Amino acid sequence: MKRLMTRSLRATAVGALALVLVAACSGKSTQTESKGDVTLKINFWGDFGLTQLKPKYEASHPGIKIVLNSGEYNAQHEDLQKKLVAGSGAADIAAIDEGFIVQFRSQADKFVNLLDYGAGKYQDKYLGWKWKQSLSADGKTQIGLGTDVGGQAMCYRTDLFAAAGLPTDRDKVSALWKTWDDFIAVGKQYTAKTGKKFVDNATNVFNPVLAQQPVGFYDSSENLQMDGGPKIAFDASVNTIKAGLSANLASFSAGWDQGFVNGSFAVLACPAWMLGHIKDTAPGTSGKWDIAAIPGGGGNWGGSFLTVPKQGKHVKEAYDLLEWLIQPEQQIEIFKEVGNLPSQPALYKDPAILDFKNPFFNNAPVGQIFSGTAEGLQPQYLGKKAGPTRVAVENVLNQIQSGQVKPDDGWADAIKEADKAAKA
Amino acid sequence: MVSVTSLPEAPGTERPPARKRSWRHRLLRFDLHYTPYLLIAPFFLLFLVFGLFPTIFNGVVAFRNWRLDDPEHAGWAGWDNFAKLLSDSDFWNALYNTFGIFALSTIPQLFLAIVIASVLNRRLRAQTFFRVGALMPYITPVTASTLVFDVVFARDNGIANWVLQVLGYHPDTPLDWHATKLSSWIAIATMVNWKWTGYNALLYLSAMQSIPRDVYEAAALDGAGPWRTLWRITVPMIRPVVIFTVVLSTIGGLQLFTEPMLFEQNPQAATGGAGGQWQTIAQLIYKVGWKNLNLGYAAAMSWALFLIIVIIAAANALITNRLGGGRSK
Amino acid sequence: MSSETMTAPARRRVRARATGRAPQDTRAGLWSYLWLLILLAFSAFPLYWMFVIATSTEEAVSKSPPVLLPGGHLLTNIEEVFSLQDVYFTASLINSAIVAVTVTVSQLFFCSLAGFAFAKLRFRGSRALLLMVVLTLTIPNQLGVVALYIVMGKLGWNGTLLAVIAPGLVSAFGVFYMRQFILTSVPDELVEAARVDGATTMRVYWSVVLPAIRPALAVLGLLTFVATWNDFQWPLITLGGTDFPTSMVALSDLASGNYVLYRRVLSGALIATLPLLITLFVGGRQIVRGIMEGAVKN
Repeated sequence: MKRLMTRSLRATAVGALALVLVAACSGKSTQTESKGDVTLKINFWGDFGLTQLKPKYEASHPGIKIVLNSGEYNAQHEDLQKKLVAGSGAADIAAIDEGFIVQFRSQADKFVNLLDYGAGKYQDKYLGWKWKQSLSADGKTQIGLGTDVGGQAMCYRTDLFAAAGLPTDRDKVSALWKTWDDFIAVGKQYTAKTGKKFVDNATNVFNPVLAQQPVGFYDSSENLQMDGGPKIAFDASVNTIKAGLSANLASFSAGWDQGFVNGSFAVLACPAWMLGHIKDTAPGTSGKWDIAAIPGGGGNWGGSFLTVPKQGKHVKEAYDLLEWLIQPEQQIEIFKEVGNLPSQPALYKDPAILDFKNPFFNNAPVGQIFSGTAEGLQPQYLGKKAGPTRVAVENVLNQIQSGQVKPDDGWADAIKEADKAAKA
Repeated sequence: MVSVTSLPEAPGTERPPARKRSWRHRLLRFDLHYTPYLLIAPFFLLFLVFGLFPTIFNGVVAFRNWRLDDPEHAGWAGWDNFAKLLSDSDFWNALYNTFGIFALSTIPQLFLAIVIASVLNRRLRAQTFFRVGALMPYITPVTASTLVFDVVFARDNGIANWVLQVLGYHPDTPLDWHATKLSSWIAIATMVNWKWTGYNALLYLSAMQSIPRDVYEAAALDGAGPWRTLWRITVPMIRPVVIFTVVLSTIGGLQLFTEPMLFEQNPQAATGGAGGQWQTIAQLIYKVGWKNLNLGYAAAMSWALFLIIVIIAAANALITNRLGGGRSK
Repeated sequence: MSSETMTAPARRRVRARATGRAPQDTRAGLWSYLWLLILLAFSAFPLYWMFVIATSTEEAVSKSPPVLLPGGHLLTNIEEVFSLQDVYFTASLINSAIVAVTVTVSQLFFCSLAGFAFAKLRFRGSRALLLMVVLTLTIPNQLGVVALYIVMGKLGWNGTLLAVIAPGLVSAFGVFYMRQFILTSVPDELVEAARVDGATTMRVYWSVVLPAIRPALAVLGLLTFVATWNDFQWPLITLGGTDFPTSMVALSDLASGNYVLYRRVLSGALIATLPLLITLFVGGRQIVRGIMEGAVKN
C-alpha cells in the first residue's frame, strides 16, 4: 500500500515538476506587474502592428504596462459583447471591426464618449464616413477612433504568373482585369496552362465584389437586401467556382496558411490589412508577391476602430494611449510594418506613405495603391448583423465548392441562411 | 450498507461513566450525532450551489428570454423557446448528426473492446505494459488528439488520404473529409473510437476476470472454440458491465463536443462544417448560447438533450439486456 | 466463423485446443501478441505523429508521401508557441496546474470525508442522502451549463480560475468510490477500537481511515488530475477569449488564431500532453487498477 502511494505521489510530483520546468524555460511570464503600475489591455485580432509600438509607449510613459491580447476575429467581438453585458472583464481598449461597429455603436452608453476627452478635434482629420461609422445615431457619442481602412487591391504571385505565361508587371496585370469577368478569364488561362488553382477561395471573390456595391447586405434601415449587391457578388463567386478556379481553402484556416507556403493559389484579393498576414504566414515567399489593381475598381473591405469600454478601471490612461496610437507618427509606422492603411487622408499625401515601397511585395508602391482606392470611397452601410450574415453566405459558397450544394441551388440557400443569421 | 434504523450508537462507543466530565460527554454526543453531517456537508453544499441549483435554474432560464446582447429584452417567454426548437432545422440536423456519429462510434468501439479484452484476458507476458498501453488514448487530452487527427484527415497532404491512395483508392480530387456528412462522421467517430476502445476493454477485462473458472469447463464439453466461447459464455456473463458501458457511451456520445468543435477549419466557428455536416447538439448549444448569445434558447436545448439522453440510455440498456439473451436481473 | 460450417478435422482441432481451461489460464499465442502490438501501434500513432509534426518545418508537413520521421525543429517550434503573444501558453500551463492540483487535493479530502461518513458512521437520513449522491451521478453536466454560466456571472467569477475550480471541488463519483472502498477495506473492529480509546470522529478519520485508503486516494487522485487537466467545454465557455485560459483552451486558441501552422499547433499539443504522459508512465499501474476496480464496483 505504501508503495502504491509513494509511486503515485512521485507521479504527481514529476508531472508538476515537468510543468514548472516547461513554464520556467519559456522565460518571461506575462503577469509581472509591480505596484503602482497601470496595466492597459488591448483586445484585437490579427495584426494591428502594435507589437513594435508597445515598448516605445512603455518607455516614454513609465508606470504604464501594455498587454496585447490578439484573438480570433469573430470571437473577439462576441467576447466584447458578453463582457459589456456582464458589466466587467472587457479590455481597456477594444478594437472593433467595421462589420460589427453598428452593433456596438447602438450600445453607445457602454463606451466612453471620446468627445468628452476632446477627441472632437480629430474629426476633420478623418475620412468623413469613417468618423460617422462609429458615431452613435444621435451624433452625440463617439465610441471609437478609426485605425485603418481596407482599400482593396489584388495580390498576385509573379513567379506563378510567369510560369503560366502571364505578364508579371503590375500595370500590365491591372490592365488584364478591368472587370471581374476579365478576372475569371485570366484565371481560366492560368488554370489551363498550369493545372493549378487560381484563387484561394470563392469567398475572397465574394467579399471584394460585395464591398464595391453601393448597398451591402443591409440598407440603412436594417432591412436585409439580398437581391442587390449580395446577388452580384454571389454570382461572380459562383462563376469563379464553375470555372474551376478555386482552391477551396477556408480563410484563416490551417490549410489556407499552408496554401501560402505551398503556392496553392496565384492571386488573393488583399485589402491593406491582408499584407501583414501574408508576410507573417509565408516569409519564404518574400519578393514573389506583387500588387495590382482590383477588378471592378475600388471598394472598402474591413478596417477597424479602437474603443474604450466604460467599465475599464483606467479610462483616462486608456484614452491617452488611444490618442497616441492614432497620431500620424504611429499610424505611419503601423502602415510600414504591417500595411494597414490609415484612415486620415492627410497622411496619404505624406511622403512617408506616398513613397513607401514594400520590399516583400516586390517593392510595390503600396502607399499609392491603397490610398488611391481609399479616398474616393462611397462606403456602404453595414447592418447590426452584417458580421454573422457574411459568415452564413460564405458557408454556402464553401458548400458549393466542396460539391455539397449545386451551384445553381446556391442562391436560394444563401437567401435562407442569411435570413436565419439576420434573425439569430 | 449503512443501516438507518439503529440510531444513534456507533460501534464500540461506551458513554463515559463519570458525570463530572459532562462537557466532554456532551462533546462526544455532539461528535456522534452531528460530525457525520459535517463530514458530508462540504459535498452537499458545493453540489447544491454548483450542481443542483444550476440544473434547476436552467429550467427557469429555458422559459425566459435571456439574451446576452440584449439584457433589456427579458421576461417570461412561456413555451416560446421550446416551440422554436421544434421548428428549428438546425436542431434536427444536429440531432441527426449526433446520432449518426454516436452509432458509428459506439457500436464498433464496444465490439472491438470486447475482442481486445478477451485477448488481454489470456495468460500474457508484459500484462501491465499492454494494459497501460491501452490507456494511452484515454489520458491524452481530446483537444490535443483532435488537433492531430485534423492533420491526419486534412484534404491536401493528409495521411488518411495517403493511406487510401496506398490502398488503391485514387479519386480525381483528394477526398475532402470535411465536406460530406458521412466522411466527417467517420473522421470524428474514428477519434472517439481511438479514445475509448482501450478504456472499455479494461472495463470488460475486469469483469471477465471475475467469471468463475468452472463456467468454462461446461463450455468445453460442448466443444465450443474460443470465439464461440467468447460470445456464448463470456459476454453474457459480463452483461451488467456491457450495459454499464452502453449507458456510459450513450451519455458521453450524445454530449460530444470537443471533437466536432476542433474538427472545424476555424475552431471558433462552432458551425460543424459549412453546412453543419457534423454539428452536434452540444456544439449547437454552445453556438446558440455563446455565439448567438441567446442563453434562454440554449437552456431549452439542454433540456431537450437531457430528455433524449435519458430516453436513449434507458432504451439502449434495455436492448442490450435483451440481446444478451437473458432475463432482466 | 461458426463451428457448424467447419469440416470435421477442423472441428477436431478446435476441440483439441479448447481443453476446458478458462481464458485466463490459456497462454496467449503469437497471434494474440501480434494483434495486441498492432492495436498498441494504432493507439500510439497519433501521439507519435504529434511528435513528428512538432519537430518538422511547415514545408515538411505538406509533403506527400508524408515524412514519417521526426525532424530537428522541436525547440524552434516550441519557442514560437511560447512567444506567441496572443495565446498565453505559459500562463495557461500554470493555470492548468493550479486548477488540476487544487481540484485533486480538494476532491481527495472532501470525498474521502463524505465516503467515510457514508461507509462507517450512522446518522439519520444517511441512506436517502447516499441515494442522492448516486442519483446525481446520472445528471449530465451539459444540463446545467447555461445556468452555471449565469451563476458564475452573478458571483463575478466568469473569466477567473475560480469558475473552473469551484464546480470541481467535489464529485459524486469520488464520494461513491471512496465509500465503496472504505466499506470493504477499513475493518469495523479498527474503528471500534479507536472509539474505545476515546477517539473523536475526526481522529478516527485521520489515524484509522486515511492510512487504510491510500491506494484509493492514489487512484482517485490520478483519475481526477487527468480529467481536470483535460476538461475543455466548461473552461472554454467561462475562460474563452480571456488572457487567462487553461492549457486546453489555449490549445484551441492556438488552432484558431491568426497564423495557424500545424507544426506550431502540434508543438503546443505535445507540451500540453506531456504532463499526462509522464503521469501515465509513472502511475499507469494505479490508473489501470482504478478503472478496473471502478468497473466491478459500479
